[in-house]
Amino acid sequence: MSVYHQMGHHSNNLVDLPEMSAFAGAIFSPINAGIAEVKEQIALGHETRGQFEHILDPQLYVPASERGRLKEWPYYPKDVDTADLTSSAWWTGLNEKLARACDSLRLDGLCSPIVIPKIFDDKYYARTIQVGSELAAHYRDTKTRILQTALVNLPELTDPNRPLELASLISGTKAERIYLIFVGTTEPRRELNQADELVGAMRMIHALEINSAPVLVGFCSSDVLLWKAAGASSCASGKFFNLRRFTRQRFEEPSATGGGQLPYWFEEALMAFLRQGDLMRVRRTGLFSEAGGHNAFCRQILEILDEASRTHTPPKAWLGISWRQFLYWFAEVEGRLQRGDADRKPYCVPQTQTGQSSMRRRSFWKSVSTTAHGSESG
Amino acid sequence: MRFVKRVGEGTFKQTFEVISADNLRVALKLYKAAIAGPREQREIDAMLRCSHDNIARLLSVDRYDFEGNVLVTLTEEFLPGGTLTEKGQIPRGECLRIGGCLIDAVAHIADLDLVHRDIKPDNIMFREDQRTPVLTDFGVARDLMDSSLTPTWAPRGPGTPFFSSPEQLNNQKSLIDWRSDQFALGVVLAYVTLGMHPYRPASRSDNEVVDLVATRNGPTQLFIDRCNSSSLPILVKMVAPWPIHRYRTSGQLSVAWSSQEGAE
Repeated sequence: MSVYHQMGHHSNNLVDLPEMSAFAGAIFSPINAGIAEVKEQIALGHETRGQFEHILDPQLYVPASERGRLKEWPYYPKDVDTADLTSSAWWTGLNEKLARACDSLRLDGLCSPIVIPKIFDDKYYARTIQVGSELAAHYRDTKTRILQTALVNLPELTDPNRPLELASLISGTKAERIYLIFVGTTEPRRELNQADELVGAMRMIHALEINSAPVLVGFCSSDVLLWKAAGASSCASGKFFNLRRFTRQRFEEPSATGGGQLPYWFEEALMAFLRQGDLMRVRRTGLFSEAGGHNAFCRQILEILDEASRTHTPPKAWLGISWRQFLYWFAEVEGRLQRGDADRKPYCVPQTQTGQSSMRRRSFWKSVSTTAHGSESG
Repeated sequence: MRFVKRVGEGTFKQTFEVISADNLRVALKLYKAAIAGPREQREIDAMLRCSHDNIARLLSVDRYDFEGNVLVTLTEEFLPGGTLTEKGQIPRGECLRIGGCLIDAVAHIADLDLVHRDIKPDNIMFREDQRTPVLTDFGVARDLMDSSLTPTWAPRGPGTPFFSSPEQLNNQKSLIDWRSDQFALGVVLAYVTLGMHPYRPASRSDNEVVDLVATRNGPTQLFIDRCNSSSLPILVKMVAPWPIHRYRTSGQLSVAWSSQEGAE
């Protein structure tokens, strides 16, 4: 039903862009902002963003890593190196500290705390459900809704029974919604390509959704299409690649850069992230999707590249625009899928009658190009 | 206290009808000394936490030192209306009424993070009015916040196999929650109303039926058809092989149950 910002370093400026109005909320991260900063952001949001949902992910996935500003938050466990993470009492204490820390934030949603285990087994999943249920019970009569965080190991889902086993286990939580994160080893820029894992993940989402356990899939990339096809209520993504995919390796990447600063164009017709050279080649072959014609950031990027080409100078930096280009697509395609209006045909698909609609699409891309060269197109 | 008669015996305890010192008919349950212990404590703890019209009331717990053995007795309200087993097959209207009461009882247990784990016709008794069903015998009830007493290597968890859910039969402890009770209640209601176990194909023995449940074969088409023709479609979802496919919350089950035609 909606898309969410997966907030990262300096993501605030994206949230209030008019082009991002389709986003229904943001999942804040304590790694990139202190408690005062998040509080200010949420207060501002409550004043200006209407129904926008402000959610906090406590990000204790690898607590010993002490990443970013996480250590500044009062719930951050100081005994994490020595604590028995299988102890219910330890988690109860953490939940209490987390609730106290969040009391003044006016959160709409809070994701239950969770760590990445050494081994994903039923005991681990059961413990996370107990932690989430406890937190949900604590917040039962408040305005803050708890999301049960569920880190699911993608390779496990190839076992035909495992998606339903895990859906059964996860849906046992007392939290109403599930914040579902798939953990794998595929690098963020690569597409997930293990078909059995993807089918298993989709079966699990479907089972949860049709049985009254609405899912918000975190850290999404182009896989948003699969999760939406499976029936996911909501999906979240962010500007950096490590906000679009969850791997253990993400905790080894510098959080401020998101693990890379090269600009990529996301092309729906190819379902791929393109570097500048590939973008130009694809443009020449006319493989652009019609979806880009609705994305103002596509136009901005092409204008920059055309200007560089015309003046024989290096193009202006378009990294920031590339983030917007992807996030706009992310929200727009989710909306299309939700409406059942997903078909934006690739540019080069032949038309059955006069070819008029193909010409219309061509004229959009042509107009960008010719405008950049200083001549008006009709 | 005066003994009237012995009324039953299970794995863990014997039950007697007695007249108490204040002249009340009560049920006295005597734990077998050799196997009492944590389970007895669990039953007591579970019953002390419950307070519901359709759950047996625990009146007192007493311990006696007898020839070096500690004997533990539970005194519960006496339920003279007999068991659901003794009622035999019941009509649809009775199923709706009794089912509604028992769903309320299961919801109450679930709210306390307890799982009964042994819902069966023998453990559903009736008050003197012969109408009010009461869930009894919390001997294998489990508090989900406590660790399990069943070892992980055990091939099957506790409970009565014929009415047990697949997760109990397979001893998948992480999957056992109130939805396991939902499954057992669904089987019980199907059995006493439609006269069939939901997973039983024609001419299969009880043991074979248990195996079919354990392997999550799913309810038979005959059962699904009977549920639909009897306007009891909710039973099909209650006995789904995976907990995810059953009602997620007791509130949802309650609403669905009462929405069936003729339900109160």
